[in-house]
Amino acid sequence: MKRLLLAAVALSAATLGAQQAPRAAAGRATAAATLIKNATVLTVTKGRLENTDVLLQNGKIAQIGKNLAAPAGAQVIDATGKFLMPGIIDPHSHSMSDAINEGSLSVTSMVRITDVLNPTAISIYRELAGGVTTVNILHGSANTIGGQNATVKLKYGRPVAEMMFPGAPPGIKFALGENVTQKNRATVAIPGQPAPARRYPTSRMGQEEVLRDAFTRARDYKAGWDDYKAKVAKGEKGLVAPRRDLELEPLVEVLEGKRLVHAHSYRSDEMLMLLNLAKEFGFTVKTLQHGLDGYKIASEIAQAGTGLSSFADDWSYKIEAYDAIPYNVAILMRHGVVATINSDSDERARRLNIDAAKLIRYGGLTEDEALKTITYNGALQLGVQDKVGSIEVGKDADVVIWSGDPLSVYSSAETTFIDGDIFFDKKKDLEKRQAMAKERADLEQAERPVRATRTQIPNEDDR
Amino acid sequence: MAPQVRRAFVAATAALLPTLLHAQLGVQRERNVPDAYAITGARIVPVSGPVIERGTIVIRNGVIAAVGATVAVPADARAVDGAGLTVYPGFIDAYGSIGIPAPAANAAGQGGRGGGGGGLGAPVPTAGPSGSAPNSAHPIGQQPELSVLDFIKPDPEALAGPQSAGITAALSAPATGIFMGRSAVINLSGANAQEMLVKSPVALHIGFTPLRAGGYPNSLMGVFSVLRQTLLDAQRYGEMEAAYARNPRGMRRPDNDPSLAALLPALARQMPVVFLASSQREIERALDLAKEFNLKPIIAGGAEAHLVADRLKAESVPVLLTVNFPRRPVNESPDADPEPLRVLRQRVDAPKNPAKLAQAGVRFAFESGGVANWSDYLTNISSAVSNGLASDQALRAMTIVPAELFGVSDRLGTIETGKIANLTISRGDLFTGGRVTQLFIDGRPFEARAPATAAAAGSMAGGTWTLTVTLEEGEKPVTVSLQQESDRLRGTLQGALGSAQISGGSVTAAGEMRFTTTVTMQSSSEEATFAGTITGNSMRGTVQIVGHPQGTFVGTRPAGGDAPPQGGRRRPPPQ
Amino acid sequence: MRGAMVLASTAASVAVSLAVSLPLHAQLGTFNPRPGAQGTFAITHGRVVTAAGPDIPNGTVIISAGKITAVGATVAVPAGAQVIDATGLVVYPGMIDGGTTLGLNEIPQGANATVDVNETGSFNPNVQAFYGINPHSAHVGVTRVVGITTVVSRPTGGILSGQAALINLAGDTPPQMAINPKLALVIELPRSGFGGRGFAAFLAQQQGGSTADANRTRQRQVDSLKQMLHDAEAYGKALDAYGKDKTLPRPAHDVVLAALLPALRGEMPVMFPADAASDIRAAVAFAEEVHVKPIIVGGRDAVAVAPYLKQHNVPVLVTSVLDLPAREDDPYDQNYSIPAKLSQAGVKFAISAGENSADSRNLPYVAGMAAAYGLSKDEALRAVTLYPAQLFGVADKLGSIEVGKMANIVVTTGDLLEAKTDTKYLFIDGRPIPLSTKHTELNAMFEKRP
Repeated sequence: MKRLLLAAVALSAATLGAQQAPRAAAGRATAAATLIKNATVLTVTKGRLENTDVLLQNGKIAQIGKNLAAPAGAQVIDATGKFLMPGIIDPHSHSMSDAINEGSLSVTSMVRITDVLNPTAISIYRELAGGVTTVNILHGSANTIGGQNATVKLKYGRPVAEMMFPGAPPGIKFALGENVTQKNRATVAIPGQPAPARRYPTSRMGQEEVLRDAFTRARDYKAGWDDYKAKVAKGEKGLVAPRRDLELEPLVEVLEGKRLVHAHSYRSDEMLMLLNLAKEFGFTVKTLQHGLDGYKIASEIAQAGTGLSSFADDWSYKIEAYDAIPYNVAILMRHGVVATINSDSDERARRLNIDAAKLIRYGGLTEDEALKTITYNGALQLGVQDKVGSIEVGKDADVVIWSGDPLSVYSSAETTFIDGDIFFDKKKDLEKRQAMAKERADLEQAERPVRATRTQIPNEDDR
Repeated sequence: MAPQVRRAFVAATAALLPTLLHAQLGVQRERNVPDAYAITGARIVPVSGPVIERGTIVIRNGVIAAVGATVAVPADARAVDGAGLTVYPGFIDAYGSIGIPAPAANAAGQGGRGGGGGGLGAPVPTAGPSGSAPNSAHPIGQQPELSVLDFIKPDPEALAGPQSAGITAALSAPATGIFMGRSAVINLSGANAQEMLVKSPVALHIGFTPLRAGGYPNSLMGVFSVLRQTLLDAQRYGEMEAAYARNPRGMRRPDNDPSLAALLPALARQMPVVFLASSQREIERALDLAKEFNLKPIIAGGAEAHLVADRLKAESVPVLLTVNFPRRPVNESPDADPEPLRVLRQRVDAPKNPAKLAQAGVRFAFESGGVANWSDYLTNISSAVSNGLASDQALRAMTIVPAELFGVSDRLGTIETGKIANLTISRGDLFTGGRVTQLFIDGRPFEARAPATAAAAGSMAGGTWTLTVTLEEGEKPVTVSLQQESDRLRGTLQGALGSAQISGGSVTAAGEMRFTTTVTMQSSSEEATFAGTITGNSMRGTVQIVGHPQGTFVGTRPAGGDAPPQGGRRRPPPQ
Repeated sequence: MRGAMVLASTAASVAVSLAVSLPLHAQLGTFNPRPGAQGTFAITHGRVVTAAGPDIPNGTVIISAGKITAVGATVAVPAGAQVIDATGLVVYPGMIDGGTTLGLNEIPQGANATVDVNETGSFNPNVQAFYGINPHSAHVGVTRVVGITTVVSRPTGGILSGQAALINLAGDTPPQMAINPKLALVIELPRSGFGGRGFAAFLAQQQGGSTADANRTRQRQVDSLKQMLHDAEAYGKALDAYGKDKTLPRPAHDVVLAALLPALRGEMPVMFPADAASDIRAAVAFAEEVHVKPIIVGGRDAVAVAPYLKQHNVPVLVTSVLDLPAREDDPYDQNYSIPAKLSQAGVKFAISAGENSADSRNLPYVAGMAAAYGLSKDEALRAVTLYPAQLFGVADKLGSIEVGKMANIVVTTGDLLEAKTDTKYLFIDGRPIPLSTKHTELNAMFEKRP
């Protein structure tokens, strides 16, 4: 029975691919052990290990070494000539979300990405095929204080609850700059509806004010609750608790250092404004997102203890991005900032390994440093560095077998593991295509019993 | 029934048709019409007990006076020869907005949805003062105190649609909003809402569709935040009220808030909460929220409920299961991208899902779900039966199960002495080609006749649309496949902006539509909100993407609407 | 403000630049340092990847007066030549991107004034990209230092979008950059989904119509395009006739019709942006009907119609390698594998990074991705060097390291398509190009900021 269940898990994960995998059975068995033999192991934190075996067991990296023995029942994968690296971490994603922005108000700290995740989004599978295993799904940049993000493992085919990264600290999205001021947004009336009014703030001046106001209110809110709790502690009776305010609660958590702030920002002046405001209110901004001009204030960012997650080389797509340079991440790292690169895109997420390689060219990062920008540093920025981001014994078995050096454009991900289970396998994917073609033919046939003789399928080369 | 007998029946009932009565109400007081009937020699399916192959039902004063194989026919009763007929408990449509006048549809549109049901429209917030609670401190769409009873207006023409499908009673609920309001069980006849009413309020209704016109919440995320905050506020409101009631001295009196007060029965689990939820993830979100606030949930829609069957069973959550199965469009657009397998699968599997739910032990009742043609109601249920659902289970899902779920099983749902005389009468077995010929509602006979208004060809928004989206980056051809359920839209966008599922979609009877999806252009993924108007087979409107100037879209779909339900023959209209 | 910054950073940028003595000063108002003078250069001891024949492991390339004058393992260095020791380095032909809008498009979002990619109206065959190109665009420098020496910059939008230019990414003026200012005509046939700017605007006015109605409108637009081409044909005929026989009525001049003549005479290829299979077929059929030489640009579904393309000998400039698969059920590598599958099917193709200027510099990695998904490394390199030159009929001048060709050469630290590879020397039109850019200057300005 257990064998059967294991087989079913492996099948559903690896072969279903674009299909929606069946809902997982309750009490899922942990993956069988997998021994990956004779790979070039890029540990990221402990250098490159040639001809090394890695044992994945009970969802964790159990052993790393030479000539490891396979436990009974383990599947053995010969990775001779291949590379093993930690699963890529994308610190800025909007994949698998049924909503990205609650842009109606300037402060929407009450909204939660967790409420609207879509575990069937095909983008998840495509990202797995690019070696990505963990993503930070952020609220959009429509407003100064956006919603709460979700750190997710891309366990495609599993229910949302199984995809949530266990123990990942909660976070929240802030946004500064032209997306928030909506300078670029025409206010054309939607037919039948009144023309949208301008939303405050429409300038960077107003953005600072919105933040200051929100955190001032949050401080008062916290004080109100503290008073109440003190009275209760003193034994006062008949008290009615203060109103719970879901807008201010997460901001109190920010003030208390329990919730990570990820702030969309482009210009160095707006970043500095936020860092200073945070200091004034006694919290640390965890990451600046995009931060394309971060290199202009690298020291200040380093001093604030803030990380930065940028694009490798994207630039000039809008005015805020016109001073972006591909040396940004390297300059920041040299100044001691924990820096990463991210995708902000279902497309780019599939090739972050190549983006990382660009940093070797544009800033002279070492290969390990380049790999860190898509693995370990991302784990640090999301507060999950104890679980993922490098190949070390005891960490989650989130690893990817690559056909060659992942920093080479000629390499591709072949097998992607999360918690020891396979969620993408190149060979299985090929088999799946046939099954999908057959299923489509069957379904079309089932739908058109009358028209079976005059099939609607166009010339085979039209699809 | 022999032809001459049948004619006699028609003649006997035609004079009594409430339609005529109502037409005269303004000028004439109601007559004292004798109200005793006896249906004799019919096959009776009481649902509460074994089938009576040949029996009699006596009706008097709107209730079932007697039922059985050997019941005597009272001398004063009008006899109805039931030879060749089967009598079922009157069907109950477990969810919808029957009885609520539809908002005026766009004249250029396709005639709106619902084909005579009248009812999928609703107290649309923008449609007029009827959708708003007076003196509420909460915005439109967030007023749970709204009672559907305040909006019901009997329209015999509109009621003829569901009647033609054998539906004698329905759960009627406000159709839009987040806290949509409270529903009622009504009988589908009566001179006014009070006469129609069976029970009110029945349930609190919650929907996940963001506001169409902007304003908070304009996203699915915001919807959940509003739900959460309002429920928290209601909890506290209850505590404050209780504290004040205990001892008002020295305490500022709490502001009266009928909206929050209306949530208290739901928070106390005294009133079930019906969540409109179709997809697996919507259902899971509803269950999660219900758990968070210890509510008593019922899922309405439930197109993917079978994927959550284990949890529904474990948490004893019933489903008001839509029988508005998705349909493929008659004509395909030659330039459209092929539909995703996921969508094909949904369509082909829809009739199989009720059996799966039954097998998993999930309790469910059928709801009409805004079917385009009322004839689809029985056609699709029959299709579910031919796909493995036991016919007695199907029948229970149309009768006693909804009656139990709504707390009216003492009055409705079976043929038993003392219950309301709601009966659905068919010639032949319902699930194998029989058809509804007549009904009794509140003890009065009705003929099952085709609705006067022709059903709309297809739904307002459903189908495969080819669109050109014009953005700063240029023109992007895409294919948008939409499925409509009541005013909600699901679907997929494919083509030059990548492929993604759409969410938060809705459309009004007037063709105003809105949905959001993820678009990817120049390696950047963005959320795009499409808002516009559907006119016939074309749509146009604007696309809003954060950080970008407003874009526009125009598009068309092939003419011809949706195909008839698959897996079952097209039912001829009654008569 | 910007000017001051550039001046301040110039000194720093010198260090990053070419070892060869060259005029390095970035000009005020441009981020692109001026090319050096043509002369005689010998690149020695490098691994020479010619893209035309076998690699030369330890070879020499001689450049003189803008041309490649010698290539080989045993080539003598001419007296007076500036010698560049390429030991440990690799010498490649400059890459060519056939599908850009470089110079026409600086900041696509929210900065309309920097965008000149399209002209208003649907029929603009006489509009030339050449006249919109800004030689001082920051994209020019940023793109060329990767080894992309030449691009086709094309207008977009409308139906007859205009004429594309073939330019080198070096020069102070458009004429200095241009190799062929009138390289190709661009026709965007109204597509499935009814693209074509005029079309969307037209459709927006129609209400209630179905797809069939829209298709009729689309057909009317194609018909009027055909009519215009037939008119141009007649115009050309009348001009020719008048040239031979002055007794005929003198034809009135028409710049619009005149602009179509080179394409109709087969002297100029026509770029047809088309992604859907039906659109690709429609473009080929249209081209054959009006007797023009088509190049399919985009080619998302080209694999599905590969036999048809091969049969009709129509090449594809693939711009969609890194696009997301268009349909939910498409395999994850649908687009990555387009070049490999076209190559297998024997369809002529080249790879482009597409219209977005900021993406142009990623051309080598786009080709690399195609190589990761089935295309051979050699084919991948040719897809961004020799093949685009062949597609546009300029392979006699560009695309490989062969004697007599224009000296567009890049010397790198390693494989040209690898993202980590760096450029050491760059020649365009035989001129040495300093390797500083807007980006290196900002880097130099801030990398050591305490």
